[in-house]
Amino acid sequence: MSEFTSDRLMAFADGQLPQDERAAVEAHLAANPEIAAEIVAWQRQSDALRTLFGPAGAEPVPARLRPRRIAAELGRRRANTFGWAAAAVVLVGLGLGAGWFARPLFDAEPSSQYLIADAVNAHTVFVAENRHAVEVPGSDSEHLSSWLSNRLDTNLGMPDLTSEGFTLVGGRLLPGEPSRGGRAAQLMYENAAKQRITVYVTAALPDRAPAYQFASQDGAEAFYWANARITCTVVGTLPEAEMKTVSRAVYQQLTEGDVARANWS
Amino acid sequence: MQDVLDQIEACVPALRRYARALTRNIDLADDLVQDCLERAISRRGLFAPRGEVRAWLFTILVNLYRNSLRATARHGTFLAMDAIAEPGTPAPQPGHIALAEMARAIETLPLEQKEAILLVALEGLPYAEAAGILKIPLGTLMSRLGRARAALRLATGNPAEPHLRTVK
Repeated sequence: MSEFTSDRLMAFADGQLPQDERAAVEAHLAANPEIAAEIVAWQRQSDALRTLFGPAGAEPVPARLRPRRIAAELGRRRANTFGWAAAAVVLVGLGLGAGWFARPLFDAEPSSQYLIADAVNAHTVFVAENRHAVEVPGSDSEHLSSWLSNRLDTNLGMPDLTSEGFTLVGGRLLPGEPSRGGRAAQLMYENAAKQRITVYVTAALPDRAPAYQFASQDGAEAFYWANARITCTVVGTLPEAEMKTVSRAVYQQLTEGDVARANWS
Repeated sequence: MQDVLDQIEACVPALRRYARALTRNIDLADDLVQDCLERAISRRGLFAPRGEVRAWLFTILVNLYRNSLRATARHGTFLAMDAIAEPGTPAPQPGHIALAEMARAIETLPLEQKEAILLVALEGLPYAEAAGILKIPLGTLMSRLGRARAALRLATGNPAEPHLRTVK
């Protein structure tokens, strides 16, 4: 029926036929309208597929799919693994008992570094989520507060950031290192412009020492403090001045647990 | 090292598009792409050839997707023929394919045909690259493409001679 194989016709339809072979196919198509129609139909299929799915490739890429972030994350995981392996060797060397008590001495970086890194990481992961941004929605803030307070073994009120323009989206529980405050609660807030900040709270560190620190990491601003009851890291990508205002509000409410409770109940 | 990351980054939109078309689900698709990127980035030291980053990423993505189907025992590959042969309602404009129909039709293709047609028609990859990604000979790719296109035409209600239908 045709002097051209269907493979060559398909290559023509897909624009994959070498330039010097195209003319012959074109002449053939001019003489055989039914074959030409077939080729047009194939091309319409491709057009339809591109119209259907093309837009998915034009959407802004979420943070969790950024290669540099993933590379940094993998590096951190690897460093952790290496750190633990090294610690294990040391533990065996010193004897289990002595090694265990000496363990904090081998932590090269202060706990705040890890907590800030964890908080920023958790922030980036969950602010990108829509349906699964939080475990318990903010509409149930009483339950959220009592649940997270129980899990963290401390009294945790939900800070009220209405006057800063933020409402509580909700919260979730996250795993954490027992030597660094243990489990963490993440609270998420959102303003009218859909910008989100998160508040990452753990129980106090073993030394219960007060501390205060600003950090800028992976494009996010983090404000960390610790006291005898909790550690708290406020994370967001707002301009620094705005971050400071919000963080101050969180700080004021969370360092006075009773005041914070009074605010929302 | 850095420029491999740049090359990978340049491929992310295409990977998302392809994964979206395969899974038809934004969350599943992005999870798949994330797994793919993690695997690729953690092994980028072992892999160096320039210019083949795209094919390499697509290979990983396709394999992960096949594994995930196997794991969930969702046999997308074994689809009854009559599901394909069911002609859809004719497109509103002669010769044009209704997008909703195409969306349903692509779903009914066996996985091996779906993978192939999307690489070529949606991603616009050269045949040789698509065959390499799917680890099949060129001839096998061409026959899968041919079968996919025939099945899509049946399922989109666009019969073999569309030019006849344009006559009022």
